[in-house]
Amino acid sequence: MAATAPTAYDVKLALPLGGFLAVFFLAPLAVLLVLSFQANPQGTAYGLNQYGQFLGDVFSLSVLGNTLLLGVKVTLLTLLLGYPVAYAYTRVGPRLKGLIILIVLLPLLTSVVVRTFAWIVILGRQGIVNNVLMSMGIISTPLRLIYTDLGLVVALAQVQMPLMVLPLITAIGRIDPNLSDASLSLGSGAWRTFVRVTLPLSLPGIIAGSMLTYAAAITAFITQSLVGGGQMLFMPMYIYQQASTLQNWPFAAAISIIFLVAVLAVVMVFNLLGRLSRGYASA
Amino acid sequence: MDLNRRSLLKTALTLGAMQAFPGLTYAQARPLVFATFTGSWEEAHKAVLVPAFRKMTDNANIVLDPMLSVDQIAKVKAAAANPPIDVMLHDPGPALVAIGDGLVEPYPVAKSAYYKDLISEAQVDTGPAPFFQVVGLTYNPETVKTPPTSWADLWKPEFKSRVGITNLNSTLGTGFLVEIARMHGGSEANVDPGFAALEKLKPNLAAVAANPGALASLFQQGQIDISPGNFNAIQILKAQGVPVEFVAPKEGAIAFKTTMHIVKNSPNQELAFKLIEAALSPEVQKKLMESPYLIVPTNAKVPMTGEIAKVLAKDTEELKKKFVFQDWKTINTQRSAWIERFNREIKL
Amino acid sequence: MRRDWEAFSFHLAIGVIAVLALILLVAPTAIVLIVSFTSGFSLRFPPPGYSLRWYVALWDAWQLHFAAMNSLKVAAWATFLSVVLGTLAGLGISRSSRLSAKLMDGLFMSPLILPALAFGLSSLMFFSALGLPVSPLTLIIGHTVVCVPYVVRNTVAALSQLDPTLLECSASLGAGKVYTFRRITLPLIRPGILAGGFIAFMSSFDNVPVSLFLRDAATDMLPIRMWQDLEGKLDVTIAALSGVLIVFTIALIMVMERFTGLSRRLA
Repeated sequence: MAATAPTAYDVKLALPLGGFLAVFFLAPLAVLLVLSFQANPQGTAYGLNQYGQFLGDVFSLSVLGNTLLLGVKVTLLTLLLGYPVAYAYTRVGPRLKGLIILIVLLPLLTSVVVRTFAWIVILGRQGIVNNVLMSMGIISTPLRLIYTDLGLVVALAQVQMPLMVLPLITAIGRIDPNLSDASLSLGSGAWRTFVRVTLPLSLPGIIAGSMLTYAAAITAFITQSLVGGGQMLFMPMYIYQQASTLQNWPFAAAISIIFLVAVLAVVMVFNLLGRLSRGYASA
Repeated sequence: MDLNRRSLLKTALTLGAMQAFPGLTYAQARPLVFATFTGSWEEAHKAVLVPAFRKMTDNANIVLDPMLSVDQIAKVKAAAANPPIDVMLHDPGPALVAIGDGLVEPYPVAKSAYYKDLISEAQVDTGPAPFFQVVGLTYNPETVKTPPTSWADLWKPEFKSRVGITNLNSTLGTGFLVEIARMHGGSEANVDPGFAALEKLKPNLAAVAANPGALASLFQQGQIDISPGNFNAIQILKAQGVPVEFVAPKEGAIAFKTTMHIVKNSPNQELAFKLIEAALSPEVQKKLMESPYLIVPTNAKVPMTGEIAKVLAKDTEELKKKFVFQDWKTINTQRSAWIERFNREIKL
Repeated sequence: MRRDWEAFSFHLAIGVIAVLALILLVAPTAIVLIVSFTSGFSLRFPPPGYSLRWYVALWDAWQLHFAAMNSLKVAAWATFLSVVLGTLAGLGISRSSRLSAKLMDGLFMSPLILPALAFGLSSLMFFSALGLPVSPLTLIIGHTVVCVPYVVRNTVAALSQLDPTLLECSASLGAGKVYTFRRITLPLIRPGILAGGFIAFMSSFDNVPVSLFLRDAATDMLPIRMWQDLEGKLDVTIAALSGVLIVFTIALIMVMERFTGLSRRLA
């Protein structure tokens, strides 16, 4: 104990949550795992059939792939839009700061259900986007935006924006302004300073935000099904379809586990990047 | 000192929890839980069925917990030993699943005062059918000037990008698929022609909704002008001024029974029975037939009148003649394969 | 000259994207607010006229009031548990390089990753196997499981940016661990905890999949009730309710801003 730095806290502090999740998260997960080894919905035999069925099926794999890809698209768009917001936040006066925070938090304040209706108003055939484009003469017939990949990515990016922007604000705000001033006064341009100084130093925020956004985007069952419509299939809907509509619980359990493992792998990559970036940022 | 503070905190928390949820501290007898459907169903049951039940049982406690059929089954199945629901409401497909999974108690027919008055289709001893549902075409009369008359109208070129359908998660979507399969020579056992027809419908499709409820907003926001739809579901929209009309296609609208079931292991078997009895009674059925609910009765002692007689059928004989009843036993055996196929093939 | 142009183009790019992003963030909420003042019976946009009728109707919507109270209580409890458990856990794992810490970090984040629906269903089976019927308690536990990662993640992020020299200074000046924590660490990471707690609260308040399975029939939850009323009945009262929720939360944020300087702390 004496050897540890004063900055480190005892790992034991994590035990209450560890115990809580062991009972109320891992145990249900174990139930799920056992279920996934049932060879049939009646549970008369056990085996790896469900996993084999999923992994040997091109369609199922494509659903998994599409879901993971959806997360990447949403995360990239959220980062692209969110970073400038967070950056601007750190450069404006207190009044504007308050306003920006308010706007960033807005998506959290509108229930997911009501938001869906708003997206129909925005993206629909007679919606705002189509009306604007048509009145400007850019298109002559309305585009189909609702129930499309593009519409879903934008809607998810809007919802998940706070998860990205809040960690970014924290990260960018912590960067010593003297660093970029120094870079600028040494003759580096604004773009170069941004790419060489600000961006790398805010990496921990980018990683934390991306991870939260990614995880939230790919598991957002309600938004995916209501904004994405009935013909786009992603893992959460696939699981729901199998579990509820078809009452095929073993298969639903197996695909939940596969999904979990796939996403854990992605998150581990994020974590690895996070550790690297932390080293980089404090170096 | 430290200990004191901790125990103080603990007491405060416990008090707080009790304040927030008085139910936590008393092990109360649970009220009867009736899982109805959402929207117009819940409205109708709250306004008509619940008061009748209360009157019958001397104000017994009842809670409505509206949710989809499949979710009712999932909940009951997950907690089969102490089910959170006492009475389930099901379309034919899910009803067969619930019965097959051993989740329902047989209906005590001998005890029932109304069972024998039901038309023969509604007399099911695993859970009688107090209601019928009807699926036909719904359209926006402001944009569709000549009312459609046939399922085939959905394929008309004038409805390019104007048609909405739902996927096969719902009874509505599945029933529709079977019907168009029949139109093209298929049947419950063979829906290949139905899928071929869906393929041809693609240019007309403006939206494939994830559930029937979503069709309503699509109508309202002008995203779609015509879709297969449920007779009851649109009544409430019409009442709100949404321009939407129902028409029974000439091939015959799809009719299916909606059954109520006593859940196995329910601690409230007797009250559950009484609720279903209330639903079968002529008084409740008559009221539910009237505007704005317009639910088709199954008690032969309730003559069909009003809007139902005008739009659907004058009596059960005509109903049986005019309407198409599908074989859900056959449908259920293949439904998962269809859903999978729909997932793969229907992409816009 | 070149540097002026560089600085200009940089700030222009940042500004334009930021404004676009802010418009995107506001648009859906603004539409809901506008529609909630409709004088008509339906959620058409743009509304045929404006009135306060749906806000008046909201006054009598006892079912919504009841659901809102339940959701508030559950969210408050879930947030409280999440903040206590999550902050401790964040402290415990943040700077430890032990394997156990890494494993626990993975564990703490996984509720975010398991589809909430699968978690809800398997939890219900788990509680049922224990002989515990669904109740507000099972609901709070379920919500805490899916909300606590937000607190952990934000606490860890805040801690990882803490300058270790500060703490080392404090320690070398003879301050005890607890003192250092209370006077230095906690004030510095509080914004992170607050932000995490806020997100946890909002995501509990808006949760559908877990509530779907873990609530009892008598505990009507607001998002589920709103979903049902909106989809089944296209009920405009729901838009008015959203309006009230938006205004209420904005007011709450402003109060927090005034008394705690939330945005300064977040930065």
